[in-house]
Amino acid sequence: MKLSLFPGCIAKNMYASIEKSTRFVFDRLGVELVDHRYTCCPAPGVFRGYDIDTWVTLGGRNLAEAEKDGLDVLTICNGCYGSLHGSNQILQEDIEKREEINEVLEQVGKRYNGGVEVLHFADVLSTMHDEIQEQKEFDLGLRLAVHYGCHYLRPSQHHESVNVENPHIVEDILELVGCESVDFKNRLSCCGAGGGVWSSDEEVALGVLQEKLAFMSEAEPEAILDICPFCHLQFDQGQKRLQKFSIPVLHLNQVLGMAFGERPKKLAIHTHLVSTREIEKKVKGLKKNL
Amino acid sequence: MNPVEKAARDSNVEKCVQCGKCTAGCPSGRQSRLRTRTLVQMAYQGEDVTGLPELWDCTTCYNCAERCPKGVNTVDTIILLRNLAVKKGNFPKIHLNAVENLYNTGNGFPLSPEVAQIRAIIGLDKEPHDVSTAPEELEKVKRIMDITGFLELVRGDRK
Repeated sequence: MKLSLFPGCIAKNMYASIEKSTRFVFDRLGVELVDHRYTCCPAPGVFRGYDIDTWVTLGGRNLAEAEKDGLDVLTICNGCYGSLHGSNQILQEDIEKREEINEVLEQVGKRYNGGVEVLHFADVLSTMHDEIQEQKEFDLGLRLAVHYGCHYLRPSQHHESVNVENPHIVEDILELVGCESVDFKNRLSCCGAGGGVWSSDEEVALGVLQEKLAFMSEAEPEAILDICPFCHLQFDQGQKRLQKFSIPVLHLNQVLGMAFGERPKKLAIHTHLVSTREIEKKVKGLKKNL
Repeated sequence: MNPVEKAARDSNVEKCVQCGKCTAGCPSGRQSRLRTRTLVQMAYQGEDVTGLPELWDCTTCYNCAERCPKGVNTVDTIILLRNLAVKKGNFPKIHLNAVENLYNTGNGFPLSPEVAQIRAIIGLDKEPHDVSTAPEELEKVKRIMDITGFLELVRGDRK
């Protein structure tokens, strides 16, 4: 399998550890990732809220880059998924709108014909259970609080393959590497960062986060597990901003990377703000006992 | 029909029965003044809500839209109202930084020297392979935003 990697602003420019583990994991799973000259997706709750036309035009430009090489797009962020999937849906279904956008794109020598599919990495991983099992070096035995994040689950008509009321796609993957997911109240709720609220209204963003963290911490997880760098940023930076809680935060690809035998330091999880030392110690111990 | 009313109608707003499930399930509403039910009602009645600061407190989590028994796309209504607010010159200046980042670098969150250093240490390209490191492509991206008039729009200079 060969896919165009859409790393997104945050995994590239703020949490490079997520980009690193993504490249490691997909390489081990035999998926070739190709780079393209992308822009921000651009963020669905942010830039789409300012000007839908600019949002869908830049989305179309991104999709055109992958289409040129005949590749589908692999997103590792719910925002990128929501954004590119959303603009793709408009550009595939509304021919008139597509032509309107192409009139702009053609002025810079580009065109999008609607031939690309936008994939979320968790969905791709869910089709690779056998490969994941083959690559696993040891069971991690971590107790994790899974956070799905809004734009993976909703709007549900964008994601018909997932049971949005009671999803278990991530839990199923975690089980393959010996991780247990803990149950907690309102497990599918928002992290509080989306829609531009993270940058414009810290009190609201942190208020929503605190509610979620309180429910998570009751279940005493060893780490929070996310499938989105923006949620990841909110959990990691937010705990510091709240000066409350200190639950390590891990992206699914970081967990898989460790289970595949890569050293946590090489995956750079120690660059997170909330200390991951306990996780690193545990994984080191497991590796030693192999 | 005024533009706010039109935007509202495009999202099935006329089907709203004011049951309040949207507001009850709103994580932001528990922390902010955002009351989706009220906002939807005001918009439907053609009231100008584009100056209300709570319009920008929606995290776009889509709880409300999923739970609406009448199929009103409340989040898309809010997005449309935000678009109208920006057109009317009510773009919250606190968001200007994100727009300028997008225009100048192609990314909402640009690369910092610290993260560039981390990238190099962990074996990634120090600078990502995106438009920010391809001047010719970045110019094209700026050209697209010039054509859509994005900067003028948010700065309130669009004629």
